[in-house]
Amino acid sequence: MFRRLRTKLTVLYAGLFGAALLVISLSVYLAISANAERVVKSELEAGGAVFDRLWALRSAQLQAAAELLSRDFGFREAVASQDSATLRSALENLRQRSGIDLAFSVGLDGTVTASDGRDLGADGAAIAQAVQSQDAPSGVAMIGGHAYQAIATPILSPTLTGWVVFAQRMDQRQMSALEQLSAIPLSASVLDRRAGAWAPDSGPSSPAEDRPVRAFVDRSLGGQTGAGRLETADGAAIALVKPLPSITGPAASTVLLLRYPLALALAPYRLLLEIVVGIGLAGLALAFAGSWALSRSVTRPVSVLDDAVRRLQRGEAARVTVETNDEIGRLAESFNQMAEAIGQRERQITHLALHDSETDLPNRRALEQRLAALADEPHVMVAALSLDRFAEVRGVIGYELAAQLQRQLAERLADRAPGAMIGRLSSDTLGMIFHTTGPEAALAEAHALLRSLEAPMRLGEATTDVAVTIGLSGVGQARPGERPPLICAAIAVVQARAARQKAAVFDAAAYGDPAGNLSLMSQMLQAIEAGDITLHHQPKYDIRAARVGALEALVRWRHPVRGFLPPDLFIPLAEETGHIRPLTDFVLARAIDDQARMRAAGHTLDVSVNISGRLLSDPDFAEAALAATQRAEGRIWFEITETAVIDEPERALRHIERFAGAGIGVSIDDYGSGLSSLAYLREIRAEELKIDKAFVLGLADSRKNTLLVRSTIDLAHSLGMKVTAEGVETHEAFALLAGMGCDLAQGFLIERPMPLKDVLTFLGEDRAAIRRYG
Amino acid sequence: MKQFAALLLVLALPLQAVAGDVAVVLRNGQGKPIADAVVTIAAPHSGPIRFAWPYRMAQQNLQFDPFVLVVPVGADVDFPNLDTVRHHVYSFSPAKTFELKLYGRDETRVVRFDKPGVVPLGCNIHDNMVAFIVVVDTPYAAKTDAAGQAVIHGVPAGPQPLRVWHPYLRAPGNAITLTVAVPRDGVVRQAVAGELRAPLEPRRMY
Repeated sequence: MFRRLRTKLTVLYAGLFGAALLVISLSVYLAISANAERVVKSELEAGGAVFDRLWALRSAQLQAAAELLSRDFGFREAVASQDSATLRSALENLRQRSGIDLAFSVGLDGTVTASDGRDLGADGAAIAQAVQSQDAPSGVAMIGGHAYQAIATPILSPTLTGWVVFAQRMDQRQMSALEQLSAIPLSASVLDRRAGAWAPDSGPSSPAEDRPVRAFVDRSLGGQTGAGRLETADGAAIALVKPLPSITGPAASTVLLLRYPLALALAPYRLLLEIVVGIGLAGLALAFAGSWALSRSVTRPVSVLDDAVRRLQRGEAARVTVETNDEIGRLAESFNQMAEAIGQRERQITHLALHDSETDLPNRRALEQRLAALADEPHVMVAALSLDRFAEVRGVIGYELAAQLQRQLAERLADRAPGAMIGRLSSDTLGMIFHTTGPEAALAEAHALLRSLEAPMRLGEATTDVAVTIGLSGVGQARPGERPPLICAAIAVVQARAARQKAAVFDAAAYGDPAGNLSLMSQMLQAIEAGDITLHHQPKYDIRAARVGALEALVRWRHPVRGFLPPDLFIPLAEETGHIRPLTDFVLARAIDDQARMRAAGHTLDVSVNISGRLLSDPDFAEAALAATQRAEGRIWFEITETAVIDEPERALRHIERFAGAGIGVSIDDYGSGLSSLAYLREIRAEELKIDKAFVLGLADSRKNTLLVRSTIDLAHSLGMKVTAEGVETHEAFALLAGMGCDLAQGFLIERPMPLKDVLTFLGEDRAAIRRYG
Repeated sequence: MKQFAALLLVLALPLQAVAGDVAVVLRNGQGKPIADAVVTIAAPHSGPIRFAWPYRMAQQNLQFDPFVLVVPVGADVDFPNLDTVRHHVYSFSPAKTFELKLYGRDETRVVRFDKPGVVPLGCNIHDNMVAFIVVVDTPYAAKTDAAGQAVIHGVPAGPQPLRVWHPYLRAPGNAITLTVAVPRDGVVRQAVAGELRAPLEPRRMY
């Protein structure tokens, strides 16, 4: 409901105080008005009593006057005279003498003679009837629509000869007299019942006021005694109704209404009420201001803290000024400490994130950030400065000194290349970002740097030689999606080392696309299905028989996008990823199929298939290969590179034994290129040994080669193996090999590897003309 | 003179038509006798009327005495003042309006009542003094005594109208009228029931 603590507190306190004040003021008001009402009620009742007394007094006066008149001998004589004019004048005389409003006589026969000579009509008849039945009645008489206080007295002369009636108008004069006698300024009025409704005797009456007044009078006559509350359009009043006796009968047809406006009754208390309300309002204002100030003092530090926390969240400086010694003050202090600690930690984390912990040099991320910042600048170059044989050096001098070595190297760099940013790319490599004019200039600068960098370095007690290789990569060359410059520089180091150079600029063309190659493997199975991977066969020429009696099946992959893929590219990958198994299964099956097709064409040839060393120890493959070769319509040979069996020699040898046992020919491939072992030749039950083409190609160049080949041929023959020379490309080599007793020749001199269709053509020609290569 | 007349009357009785006496007793509902009521029988008669009682209305002890006086038409009534104070006797009655202005002790006024009717008497000085003179034109008239009895002698026999009047009798004209069968000889007794109302007493002044 409240978003601010201060508002909440203020409203709560001021609200509570205000409610209390309201209750107090209300109580005071109620007490005062109840008291005022009570006072007015009792005053009204006193006023009623006064009126009673006044009424009695007037009655007595009237009576006295009437009786006096009735005793007057002359008057009695006048009555007896039956002369109405005399009677009237006598009545008028007495009326004036007594100072009353109306006097009239009623004869024994009901004749009414009024002092002013008028005809009283029905009013007079009613009074005549009343006096005849009541002898000497008194009360209110309605004459001519006005209320009169009337009293009748018999005329005795000495017996009853009639009545004399004195009537005094109940007008405002009389009411004023009553009002003056009262202790409070009440207002008195006489109401009489006219046509069933109570109406004031004189003066205009407002209907709005009439209804509640009538109801009040009816209620009062109906049994409610004492003063009561009368609500009219003019406001509330305390009122008292006194029924007045009627001269004509007991039923009250006239009432006296005493009224006292409540507002008037409350007037004396108005000042008191105003003071109470004034004090209340002043108190409320004070409470409001006080709670505001209090809550402000309480909540301001909280607000300040609140703001500070928000600032801290946004990572801004958030220090709170401590003002007090209370809990909030302590909280603020703690907050400051915390904020400071957080800031320190943050700086530390940022430093750690961007610095190498060992050397405290900017790390790769820092270099990357700088590169990102420099992305739009031309001629920015990245250099990767890799310590040669760092692992060995570190092994000798230890981690500490290795780190020191790099620090010193970085210092040297900083000296030589001011303005460059220097960081640590990886454990053995420093990175440097610098401005230059182009790759050539950069290369020149790198060579210049190398001279100072490779100066002997003093580390602790010892002096160490340092060798550094520098890879360079331009930043401007980088396009989106390409390799990051830092990687390129690192690759350039590798390229430089491969080229036995001290520094090199990254050569994208030479690097190729290793990532693309990796994706090849996932495409290999599809390629087999789609027929992109096929078999070519290269003839093996039997020198002694002077004919082609065997073929080596070689896999070829024509990639729809990348074109011809050399086996050197995808075979090692297939071996690494396990794809070699389905590839070999395919090659074996296809070789057997092709052998069958050649046989169908009338050529029965041995077919050699290269089996990866990885598969030799695989029992599944061994079973599958044995099963596949069952259906071969000729002899199948497995060419095994001697190094291949070294992984799991026991199992591989066992499998080779089984293959040999099943009639599969076993060839030792590429003999002489690896670390050829004699024990190896002894263990493997091979029937053929293939001399690596490196020896054959250089056969004519060196006597040493000739000797090695000759002795190898002799060794193989001694062990009962045939010898095949690979890479036979010249007649000269062919002649030498033939002279050495080599059994088979394979190479471009004979024929390149070719598809089955071409092989069949070749074999047809071969049959027609026996070849001579010597 | 009076005695002589009475004697004459008695002597005449056998000569005239037969007549009887009427004895009336007036009581109220409680059987209490009502005194001072005037009983009259409007029977035919001849000759002057004379009553055996004096035609005299004295004022004594600030009262009229008697309270009710029956006199024949044309009678002269004496108004002797036996009190030490003066009285101012008056009557506004239609039968006889007169006024005897202040007269003193042992003074006597004489008023002739020449019309039948009731003449209320008052004293202008003393309101409490009230009396009635009943002027009749019949010899058959009597006033009830303390026992409520009135006897009228020698009333001609036959049914005769009897009227009982009292100033405070609760009846129209303060009178009860009935017919009484008068015997040829002897006495007829007639009981009459009546109620008196309280006289209008002059109230004390405030």
